[in-house]
Amino acid sequence: MGSLRWRQFTAILRKDIVMELRTREMLTSMGLYAILTMVVYQIALAEAGEGLDVRLIMPGLVWVAFIFMSMLGLNRSFVHEKDQGCLEALLLSPVDRPVIFFAKFAGNLLFLLVVEALTLPVFAFLFLQGRAGFGGGLWMLALVLLGASIGIAGIGTLLATISVNTTGKDIMLAVLFVPLQYPLLRAAVGATFAGVIGGEGATSSFWTWMGWIAGFDIIMVLAAFGLYEFVIEA
Amino acid sequence: MTEAAEQPAVEASALERSFGARKALDGVSFAIPEGAFLSVFGPNGAGKTTLLKVLTTLVAPSRGSASVCGLDVVEGAVELRARIGLISHNPLLYPDLTAEENLLFFADMYGVENPRERARELLEAVELDHRRLDTTRTFSRGMLQRLSIARALLHRPEVLFLDEPYSGLDPHAADILDSLIASIRQHHTFVMVSHDLDKGLELCTHALILSKGRVVLFERREDIDEREFRETYRRVVGMGVA
Repeated sequence: MGSLRWRQFTAILRKDIVMELRTREMLTSMGLYAILTMVVYQIALAEAGEGLDVRLIMPGLVWVAFIFMSMLGLNRSFVHEKDQGCLEALLLSPVDRPVIFFAKFAGNLLFLLVVEALTLPVFAFLFLQGRAGFGGGLWMLALVLLGASIGIAGIGTLLATISVNTTGKDIMLAVLFVPLQYPLLRAAVGATFAGVIGGEGATSSFWTWMGWIAGFDIIMVLAAFGLYEFVIEA
Repeated sequence: MTEAAEQPAVEASALERSFGARKALDGVSFAIPEGAFLSVFGPNGAGKTTLLKVLTTLVAPSRGSASVCGLDVVEGAVELRARIGLISHNPLLYPDLTAEENLLFFADMYGVENPRERARELLEAVELDHRRLDTTRTFSRGMLQRLSIARALLHRPEVLFLDEPYSGLDPHAADILDSLIASIRQHHTFVMVSHDLDKGLELCTHALILSKGRVVLFERREDIDEREFRETYRRVVGMGVA
């Protein structure tokens, strides 16, 4: 049974990756949204001048872009399943519902990380050229991205499943997603700030915020895992 | 007769399913033996699709009970899913996967052994082997339905549920479906929801008419007086039948 679950998990994940590589619906929409947001940021900050230390506001700007970008992508993550009744076929098969959750979660996490990894250099190019670099290590930024993306993908997968059967799913996801992500967003901004600015006390602050992120991830992924059977069959 | 042989393949007992205040199924009871072919008729909104969804574990009953292959549709749902198949008017296939990828994906879901060989065997049976590398988005309605049949048979289910399977099929696809049903008829139990009275009566060993979630008539084929049956159906549907 264990090997069947693994086979089912890898099959769903592989199917999502193959379909995404074929359609590029999630990656394109998320990537374009993130880049366009950064271009708008640059225009918005055009008059701020050289005196503005962009690093002070960078964590907030980046996470605002990533949160809204992920909403856009996650909304699309179940669209394929609704086409031609595929979700029904998936639910008809002898697959434990948590296996579906973890496979969809893994796919969403992968797509989020890919887009984040591609758009961060664009942000650095637009805002940090000729300015002071990161005060902390790049590994700090990588760790925040991974930690926060786990929480975003976990709760996002659950909410996308709820909203796919709901009229006005775009609004539904937005209304539920942002309030639920608030603690994660706050911690992600704090940890990113510590990583970007660096200096004395930054490492300690970084790990405190990372603790918050880890706690949020565990609670939200476990809650999503526990609720998934009820939600997907509703 | 052994105990297993006496056990109905599909059974519903005082089955109810409500959506809010509306009762889609209201005290539905029937039983069919292994190897039977049950045709379920009724007007739109009679509860046919809800009955199929309950029997295939997609929707839980509000009251009463149902079992398929001796397994309760709620308690034994996971085990039961491995033993049933559904052919719907909806293809239940991923449009951006190829025909072969679709079958291999569902083979993984059901833990089918030698999935590639099984997929090729079924693609040949439904005459789609030449299109196995094409995404199903490019398929006609008839081709989708044929591939949907292959998907439903992948894991060799004991009971097959058919939801308006002939809907939208061209004559060639309908012939293929007929011959596939004929070829597996002896070893399977069927439950088919249909508006096509002629086809339903031609295939069935048992017939059931639903109206407003209730069983109006349930009879074995040999006990059916066809004229009376058609009259009852016409009265229930509220329109003439061919």
